[in-house]
Amino acid sequence: MDDLLSAQLIDRLQTGVILLDRQGRILSWNAWMVKYSGLTLNDVVTRHLGEVFPETAQTRLQDGIEQAVRFKLSSMLAPGLNGAILPLYQQAMDRRLDQRMQQLIYVTPLHHEQCAVLIQVQDMTATVRRERRLRDQSSQLMATTYRDALTGVGNRRRFDQDLVNAFRDAQKKQQSLALIMIDVDHFKAYNDHFGHLKGDECLIRVATALQDTLRHTGDRISRYGGEEFVLLLADAGRATACTIAERLRRWIEELQLPHPTSHSGEVVTVSIGVTAMIPTHEQLAYSLLGQADLALYRAKDEGRNRCFYYDAENSDALPCCSDGAGDD
Amino acid sequence: MAELSDLQRDALGELFNLGVGRAARSLSQIVRDEVHLSAPLVSLVRSSTIATDLLGSEFKELSMVSIRFSGPFDAQAILLFPERNALAIVSHMLDPDLLPEEVSEFEQEAMCEIGNIILNACISALADEFGVEFHGDLPMHHFNTPGALPLFDQDDDQVILVLQIHLAIRQERIKGHLLFLLSVSSLNALLTYVDGYLSRLGMQ
Repeated sequence: MDDLLSAQLIDRLQTGVILLDRQGRILSWNAWMVKYSGLTLNDVVTRHLGEVFPETAQTRLQDGIEQAVRFKLSSMLAPGLNGAILPLYQQAMDRRLDQRMQQLIYVTPLHHEQCAVLIQVQDMTATVRRERRLRDQSSQLMATTYRDALTGVGNRRRFDQDLVNAFRDAQKKQQSLALIMIDVDHFKAYNDHFGHLKGDECLIRVATALQDTLRHTGDRISRYGGEEFVLLLADAGRATACTIAERLRRWIEELQLPHPTSHSGEVVTVSIGVTAMIPTHEQLAYSLLGQADLALYRAKDEGRNRCFYYDAENSDALPCCSDGAGDD
Repeated sequence: MAELSDLQRDALGELFNLGVGRAARSLSQIVRDEVHLSAPLVSLVRSSTIATDLLGSEFKELSMVSIRFSGPFDAQAILLFPERNALAIVSHMLDPDLLPEEVSEFEQEAMCEIGNIILNACISALADEFGVEFHGDLPMHHFNTPGALPLFDQDDDQVILVLQIHLAIRQERIKGHLLFLLSVSSLNALLTYVDGYLSRLGMQ
């Protein structure tokens, strides 16, 4: 192939082509590079790439060039890991906003008297943009999948996944993990009295109130089922969990949602079961659920509108110590 | 089949650890966080047995990055992680909040680069210490199940140098393997260089 044809071919490529000599100086630079860098071959020829683009110093691109010159090894630079290394712009406006073209770069050694390194640059902007859009959509979908349709708090699926992750984390760090299980008292009676629509409304009010009290801590309430809600507290011991449980219980009582058919008062109240443990590597996440459940049932048996915690030593449940109402 | 002497095994372990040490520094630079890499164990196996011996029950889905090197000896170098581990690495490198499930095909390109960094660092460490030059191709990324590994059943004369590799990033520890597929003659050439290296150190 004659030189004229080679030069034409290289200039027609929809890829940036840069040729470097053994010292890393630019020998050639195709039309694509001129178009997107705004620099002609005359502007750059015989200069080091790091001199033309000081921002490439100490990047993977320089490593790649060195590997190609010194060791004859090839490198690829993915846009995800390196961002946009070279100041290349699709349009003049992008240059003003410094919105660089996303680049996939290949650096390969050449066996030639003058040319030692071939750098190829591909425009990945459209791909990266498409990827981001898909990611955003999938994040939205994920958020929907994990949200309880009625109350807007996390759903059972959310909780199951949180439990597995939090439990694994607590095992690894040997930290305490607490679980709080909250059940609306006499909810069936509420539904029977006011009807299901009002029942739904009540659950929304309760869920929102629970989540609101936790807003600043970032902890997440999930609906476990029916009128039951759960809350995981990472790095929290029994005392902390009991304090929080008591606060939640009081908060719901103070909402003063009328519940004329409740046997434990005139308003909507909740019973709460609490447990906390530093899980051993043999323990399963279910054990936490079983314990909180047991404590919750004791809270109900003892008259509702109160918090009980699971006492591991005696495999029994005891009232959460507090300043007051509902607990001993 | 050729065996490695204890000295050869130690020398190779040392050289590869030099390489993965360099790779760890490059990776740390990229993620702006500390990345630790070590390759504690070196062994030699026959290619026909690798899928069952090494990969059999341990790995279901694999992520592999391979690079072909040629020079005084030829090798196909492969960085191999269980897919789940590979996705964990990539998600840590790109964004600590990214779940492995969310890592897309496109971001798996990043895995290709990570493999590129680790494999090139190993080969350049060998080239440096042996005073030789290799030509390294661009990396290729494959996803596969061990049963369908075309790379491992080409030829029964092939041997594989296997290194366990441990990568630690942001409190996550991830295990994988570094494999070097060599013909018997390439293995012999490699071992000649290893012996030369040992005698320069006065070890042989």
